Amino acid sequence: MQRRTLLAAAAVAPAILPAIARAQGTQKATLRLKWLAQTQFAGFYLAKARGYYEAEGIDLTINPGGPNLLTENLVATGADTFGLSGGTDSVFAAREKNLPVVCIGVSHQQTPFFFVTRADGPIRTLQDFRGKTITTWYTGANYVLLGMLAKAGLKPGDFTMQPQQVSVTPFVEGQIDVVTATKYNEFYTLMTRMGRDKLRTFVAEEQGITFPRDTLIVNETTARQKPEMVRGFLRASIKGWRDALRDQKAGVDAVMAAAPSLNRDHQEFMLVEAGKLMTAGAAAQQGLFWIDEAAIRSAHDFLREHEVIKQPIDLAKTYDGSFLAAIPAADRMA
Amino acid sequence: MSASLSAPAMRATGVWRHTAPVLLGLGRLVLGLAIAAAVWEGAVLAFGIRPEYLPRLSAILSTIAATPEAYAAGFLRTLLETLLGFAAGVLVGVLNGVLFLRAPVLRDMLFPIFVVSQTIPVIAFGALVVLWFGNTLLAKAVIAFYLTFFPVTVNTLLGLQSVDPRQVALLRSFGANGRQILFRLLLPTALPQIFVALRLGSSLSLVGAIVGEWFGDTTGLGVILLQAMYTEQVTVMWAAILCAALLGTGFYALVSLAERWLVFWGAEQ
Repeated sequence: MQRRTLLAAAAVAPAILPAIARAQGTQKATLRLKWLAQTQFAGFYLAKARGYYEAEGIDLTINPGGPNLLTENLVATGADTFGLSGGTDSVFAAREKNLPVVCIGVSHQQTPFFFVTRADGPIRTLQDFRGKTITTWYTGANYVLLGMLAKAGLKPGDFTMQPQQVSVTPFVEGQIDVVTATKYNEFYTLMTRMGRDKLRTFVAEEQGITFPRDTLIVNETTARQKPEMVRGFLRASIKGWRDALRDQKAGVDAVMAAAPSLNRDHQEFMLVEAGKLMTAGAAAQQGLFWIDEAAIRSAHDFLREHEVIKQPIDLAKTYDGSFLAAIPAADRMA
Repeated sequence: MSASLSAPAMRATGVWRHTAPVLLGLGRLVLGLAIAAAVWEGAVLAFGIRPEYLPRLSAILSTIAATPEAYAAGFLRTLLETLLGFAAGVLVGVLNGVLFLRAPVLRDMLFPIFVVSQTIPVIAFGALVVLWFGNTLLAKAVIAFYLTFFPVTVNTLLGLQSVDPRQVALLRSFGANGRQILFRLLLPTALPQIFVALRLGSSLSLVGAIVGEWFGDTTGLGVILLQAMYTEQVTVMWAAILCAALLGTGFYALVSLAERWLVFWGAEQ
């Protein structure tokens, strides 16, 4: 109902919206996650549980994502206020389609996935991918793989690439040679089923490619009309994440309260790995959600080079670090 | 003396005559379930089936027992979505059927559009419905409704059209008005056919509710299912499947029971 009213109101008189919101004192807002509740998003859940958003005057609802849901679309249309979307790659794609989304922070500073082979198998280097069967996600990871293999001197016809389904079982069973795994999710399943020492990993950073992912986005209207709310949201989220990374039990608890059927061991592992990704690279000096312009430029140029994005994207307009800059650096450190 | 004793005794045997087949049927059902459970448990143990493929039934049940409130909340939420969608689908479907019978012009205009709407895979609608209704109960009910209203429309119309025109003429000759003919003749005659759609709709609306939950929600059997699928918690996945099966069978059984009670002359049984 709320959303329909919002949509109707937005269609009729966009100018009235902020006035209504101001009159209410606390503003209602939603955060659309890129995926279902899990500790990859622990900081947001903890910030909500501890009332950090309320303290900023934001009545925040956390909406989980799911397959076939594009966070950029939901934020661009105003169905959701904030979004934790796929990553730099999906933000580029959205801007190329003229969706009015702005990235206000980047969560994972490094490529959060890698490519996994059997440690005792025939694949020891990237060159050994020749003639092998690889499964990967056709949502960005495929380009990272193509880029890595191109740097190793392999052309697309030299190996078989297939879309990866939900389960990693085909790899465990030996039906495929290379599988794609996020460091925090699929890799946990692989480790528990095969053992860490049975697995060899190939990381994009080793080939000089970085794909920052898990981007915080708002639409241009929100960024323009409610900068104070955007800053408040960032302040509260960072506070929640600092708590979650320091007191990981509390972080896991906050998520498990929302999704009790999750496996706690897996969620604890996930939070550790998410923490590593969030404090890697420039975030180590600049703090959480830092927008590393150099990394984003290199991801952009890489995708342009492979013609994934056809037109250059205006990076200064797409990535707006001003909201983050309003928060003292000391308060942003993990 | 003998008369006062025999009357309650006779009543008791009468009650027994009615309840005995029901109890016997229930007994057989329980026995069947117990055998199926034993075969499941035994086969997994005997053939050494790995839990990734099929976990033991006892493992699944203890998974549910570990966080029963999560499954109970999911069950209730999905049930509510299913019921809302089903009720709306039945109401609109029956109304459509009556409307199409009375106004063939409307039928010719709208029916093709309904058919087109049903050829669109429901999954294509999911993202749109979330865009329109957000993560609300309504969004899931709408998908359940979308899957339910069409079979009900078609079957209602079919049932209404199967009424013998001579019966209508007879009632009219007795001075019955349109409403009386509808409620005393047309709808009762169409009821067995409508119930075919209701039984179909009971399972379709559950599918709709679960698919709806795959487009971002916090509670529901579909949410548990999706979460388990992507984190490869196979026992949790099976637990959600069991709960969904229980919900689906229970709902189907209730609809069948209602059919037996309402369509007591029952042609379909």
